Amino acid sequence: MSELPASPEPAPTPAPPLSDPERWVDEHGDYLFKYALSRLRDPLKAEDAVQETFLAALKGGKSFQGRSAEKSWLVGILKNKVCDHYRKAGRETSFTDLEFYQDEESDRFIPDGMFKDGWIHDAGPQEWNSPGASLDSEVFWQTYRDCSNKLPKNIATVFTLREVDGVESKEICTMLNISESNLWVMLHRARMALRRCLETNWFAKQEGAK
Amino acid sequence: MKLFASLKTRFVIWVWNHTPTCAEMSRLTSRALEQPLTLKTRFKMRLHHLICVWCKRYSKQLQFLHATAPHLDEHTDVPASRGLSAEAKRRITQRLRRG
Repeated sequence: MSELPASPEPAPTPAPPLSDPERWVDEHGDYLFKYALSRLRDPLKAEDAVQETFLAALKGGKSFQGRSAEKSWLVGILKNKVCDHYRKAGRETSFTDLEFYQDEESDRFIPDGMFKDGWIHDAGPQEWNSPGASLDSEVFWQTYRDCSNKLPKNIATVFTLREVDGVESKEICTMLNISESNLWVMLHRARMALRRCLETNWFAKQEGAK
Repeated sequence: MKLFASLKTRFVIWVWNHTPTCAEMSRLTSRALEQPLTLKTRFKMRLHHLICVWCKRYSKQLQFLHATAPHLDEHTDVPASRGLSAEAKRRITQRLRRG
């Protein structure tokens, strides 16, 4: 990137933008980068997305009372940038993760006999002790995050878009150029794997601690 | 008592034979978060839950994941090493100054 001679003062714009862009980078840069990185899984692409976000924000300059409003405004722009990225990627490559289609939970179902495909009792979902109380624990959230990071890349992307960002499933299908039934399978796998991971790494341990 | 036990077994077997398997139930439970299922399917799932505590838990736990996932970002902090590097910050700041 070419270096510009530092101008003594940034040219004042007619209507001064909400705040000094340098402060944005300083205050929100890390958060936005982390947000982008967890969705794009590539530091260079994440940095690009953050930069594009700030540029778009600069153009759309609004003013805010509070900094939290400013932050969620920036996150909103970034969210669109991430979606744009997937829209492009979805056109270019096939998105579905076929390797993951093998049912990794099949070992938890009864393989044959009268109750074929029923949960094996000891291996099926166990009772979770007061899940609501877990929400106060930072360790719980970290476990949740670690579990979602362990998902195969494409499955994780779909889960994050759908469950964390709350994008409608139809929109995700258009964005990623996949069929709805494909999306359902991927979400099913994601939820199943996450549920299992949280149970093993959090809820089962809570039980043991008592 | 014996009669009751035998009726209960018959009921469980009847329900098992007339509702989706647990493997199918897990798929449907996830699908229900994406689109409304037909009344018939929902009824069969309810019926299955009467005889299967595992599927009932599965459903509850999936709803828990669904309800909590939107808050994932608020709670997980950026470890310093994973944030923007000083170099990247400088690059972006320079780019912003150009407008």
